[in-house]
Amino acid sequence: MKVSKHILLLLALLTAGAFSGCQKEKNIIYDVNDVNVNRPEGNKDYVKSLAEFISIAYTDLFGQNISQSALQTLSVPYSGFGDLKLIEDMIIKNFLNSPSAIVPSNTDMRANVDQFIMETYQKFFNRNPNEFELWHMKNLIEENADITPELVYYATMTSNEYRYY
Amino acid sequence: MKRRGFIKKATAATAGAFSAPYILPSGRLFAATGTRVVDHVVFCLFAGGVRNLESVHKADGNLMPNTLLGNESISSDIAAGVTPLGQVGGQRLQEMGTLYKEFRFAQGPTGHFSGHSSVMTGVYNLADINIRQRPATPTIFEYYRKHTNPTANATNAWWVSNALGPYPALNYSSHPDYGALYGANYIQPASIISQAGYDSLGNPKTFTQNQHDLVGEMRGFFDNNFSSQTLAGDAGITNAISDNPAVQQFLLDSFQEAVAGQYTNPWGLGGMSGDMFNVFFAEKVIERFQPELLVVNMQDVDVCHTNFTSYANNLMRADYAMAHLWQTIQNTPGMANNTIMIALPEHGRNAQPNTVVDPYGRYALDHTNDEMSREIFCLVAGPSGKVVQNQLISQVQGESIDVVPTIAKILGFYDEISGMLTGQPLNAAVV
Repeated sequence: MKVSKHILLLLALLTAGAFSGCQKEKNIIYDVNDVNVNRPEGNKDYVKSLAEFISIAYTDLFGQNISQSALQTLSVPYSGFGDLKLIEDMIIKNFLNSPSAIVPSNTDMRANVDQFIMETYQKFFNRNPNEFELWHMKNLIEENADITPELVYYATMTSNEYRYY
Repeated sequence: MKRRGFIKKATAATAGAFSAPYILPSGRLFAATGTRVVDHVVFCLFAGGVRNLESVHKADGNLMPNTLLGNESISSDIAAGVTPLGQVGGQRLQEMGTLYKEFRFAQGPTGHFSGHSSVMTGVYNLADINIRQRPATPTIFEYYRKHTNPTANATNAWWVSNALGPYPALNYSSHPDYGALYGANYIQPASIISQAGYDSLGNPKTFTQNQHDLVGEMRGFFDNNFSSQTLAGDAGITNAISDNPAVQQFLLDSFQEAVAGQYTNPWGLGGMSGDMFNVFFAEKVIERFQPELLVVNMQDVDVCHTNFTSYANNLMRADYAMAHLWQTIQNTPGMANNTIMIALPEHGRNAQPNTVVDPYGRYALDHTNDEMSREIFCLVAGPSGKVVQNQLISQVQGESIDVVPTIAKILGFYDEISGMLTGQPLNAAVV
């Protein structure tokens, strides 16, 4: 008799527990927003056309739009040689040799390397450098006295990323 | 794994590695490259539309006296409009090889680009040609670069064209297994070696070697960070980084020579026609790079659409230019006696004239797919023992699409590509 009382009590407790466990699940929201993960170098899916490359490079270095006649002149070697990167390399070196090219002085660059790198990335890659890029480029510039702003511009403007938008 | 099992498996793997064909990073799997006949091929597209009547049949006299044997005089009615240029060398090109007098551009439209494309790919274009697109089948340059062991650099393959338009597209195809990675250096000298070319490229900023190294380091850093977004072949063909300075210097030297007046009358003929200048620049490429495969074309004879006598005159100039090209090859160390030159028009011209009459009373000629516009010649010249000398093949033999297999045979990779081609090597000419 004593045993059956205990069994009844246990059953009653289990039943009560079962009903109390059927509560609606709470919608818990943690305090973290969704984040879209983008490439640090941005999504650049298109290769610049001949005219785009020349006119953008011209504007980047001379601070003004290229004239139609200058664009036509620069297009000639572009269409007459198969290795476009080689021609672009030569065009950029010719631009950099012009006294009209707007390039910061070496003193200015070395006075604030961080700022120079940030501005260079913005100007040519249309984005900020990530922390690693900033650290790497800063190290490279500070450890090599031979690196001039022209040299950085030349390397940037002949890189693959500069050929895309 | 037990020691005995490990040794057994390791031994088997090592043996397999030695017996299996080598696989390149590109995925190419090849046996040893075949035997070469010579190490260099110069392919001269004697183009613009040349009728056999005026060339090898000499209906108006020998208008190709540097190529063809014979001293037939120029027809009297046009003689005043044709300027003889003299002999470049002691021998005629015909004597230094095999001349197919009845070669054929057998299929496809007899248009300049169609002819160029067919002979440079080894495939006739039977469908409509879209001149804005690259050929769908690989060019001879791609076959050569991909199937040469070790893979040939771009400085070994050149396409020197006299015109822009669709012609730049012939340095590589859109074929997914070939393409820009195996293309040729394309150059159109008349446009790049010009005032515009000089203004754009001729006065570059110079850097020290250390600075160049630093640029390479920075650019490498940028490119590594961007490598996931870079499309293969996005800049056309690219020379190896190690070859870039040499190619740039070549262009800069060419500008300097042009500015110094060395390109005005380099052959002492009183001036240079478009064809001559194109061949002259091909000679510059030969002298600087000794390429294993160079294709150069001429097209000035196409004036025949409106002026037959000028056509005859330009035929004589083209003949002179081709002989000069041959002489340059023979004066270039590495290429002398180690080069086979192949020359042929891309197509012929019609039997019937159009209605345009030139000042000498001759009717002009078009090229619109009639039988005569498919009749061409082909010359294969080369060293004795490599090319059958002084051989004249007068019966109908050989087609435009046989040139690619012939070059492949000469440079030792025909076995690797024969399954992709319908033409055959010109075995009657090449030993």
